[in-house]
Amino acid sequence: MCLGSVYRLADGVQVRRESFGLLFYDYRGPRLYFVPSRDLVEDRFFEGKRTARELVESICAEHDWPRLLVYTKISEILTLLETKGLIHEQSVC
Amino acid sequence: MSNQYVDRGLSAPVNVTWEVTYGCNLSCVHCLSDSGERRRGELSTDECKRVIDAMSENRVFQFSVGGGEPFSRDDFVDLMDYAHEKGIVTCISTNGTLINDEIARRLGHKLVYLQVSLDGATPESNDAIRGKGSFRRALRGLECLKKRDIEVSINTVLTRLSLPELDALAGLAASLGAKFRVSRFRPSGRGKKSWRSLNVSKDQMVAFSDWLSNHLGVSTGDSFFSVAHEDRKALGLNMCGACKLTCCVSPLGEIYPCAFLQETEFLAGKLPEDDFARIWTGSPVFESFRDLEIRSCESCDRFELCHGGCPAIAYHTQKKLGLPDPGCLVNCVSVKKTVSRVA
Repeated sequence: MCLGSVYRLADGVQVRRESFGLLFYDYRGPRLYFVPSRDLVEDRFFEGKRTARELVESICAEHDWPRLLVYTKISEILTLLETKGLIHEQSVC
Repeated sequence: MSNQYVDRGLSAPVNVTWEVTYGCNLSCVHCLSDSGERRRGELSTDECKRVIDAMSENRVFQFSVGGGEPFSRDDFVDLMDYAHEKGIVTCISTNGTLINDEIARRLGHKLVYLQVSLDGATPESNDAIRGKGSFRRALRGLECLKKRDIEVSINTVLTRLSLPELDALAGLAASLGAKFRVSRFRPSGRGKKSWRSLNVSKDQMVAFSDWLSNHLGVSTGDSFFSVAHEDRKALGLNMCGACKLTCCVSPLGEIYPCAFLQETEFLAGKLPEDDFARIWTGSPVFESFRDLEIRSCESCDRFELCHGGCPAIAYHTQKKLGLPDPGCLVNCVSVKKTVSRVA
């Protein structure tokens, strides 16, 4: 994960919030992907308007959680989604 | 697919089965909706667009569109275009006979999946179920789609007549560059009348289950989790998705748990006049469906693979919900063993 990057949905992928976290739909298949992220990541994050750093910092500020813990968790989620081809990184530097 | 996230139902369906008309130019003996003539009260173009709007607002990802024959509606392709503008994927189930070059041209959209129904690999075997001339006309439609490289599946309903043709149908699909899909015959619509004569025997269902294991590339949607072996577990849902992942909208806008349970007692609401989110989350019909437990199946070794099977088949054959699917693999194998012992 690159903190300075934004992350957008891959072509043909949609996402929505569910009680367990995020539900991704990939029309190639079609297939579903369940991400038990609770309320850590909003589906709107993938509109690419906020960087990963901004996401991590907003979570830390909101919950008063250790930065390393939040970074690790967000990194896990984004890396997994990227590996599955559901999102892609876009550098804003 | 992980049931833990699905068991209590999602915030909205992932997929909505939408039967857009009862009108059909064919008269298949197993038709799930008893289609033929268009009926009074079918949704107008504007009302259909309001249905699409409602699904889009609820973040529904996909329509499985059927009928009747969807292409018998003059506004059908326009409606699909409207759904695609909203980002909704459309999986269109058609008999293929009305598809021409112009329609194929308009269907060349990345959000379209097409499924053409054939129930035999030859005109004789197919037309015995789907009507005279239907095989030749469906193949003409398939050729139009192939010319434009449109991804298509050939779908066959498993019956006593189609079972011996599955290998030939899979070969036909491959020759057309199509995928092959088999779906389950259910005793709804005209299928109620033809159920006894067309439904496969328990022995045949066991043979089909083995065939599926040898053909992992053949898709089945959510049709056969109750008979599939462990090797297909990862290929799809292993439980009924009605009211959890999916529901059905009838040509009149009525909302039901699934296409095979369009009975008055399962009517949950009506579009476009009712609020879909309230129906999905608050309808007593949908709530009771989510609470449905097939208790007599819970001690079964295969429970984790099928969760009691298809409630629609259990309902139509036993007139009650909450009973085991009579065509599940355990039922079929135990009958086969009993028959073998007697013999």
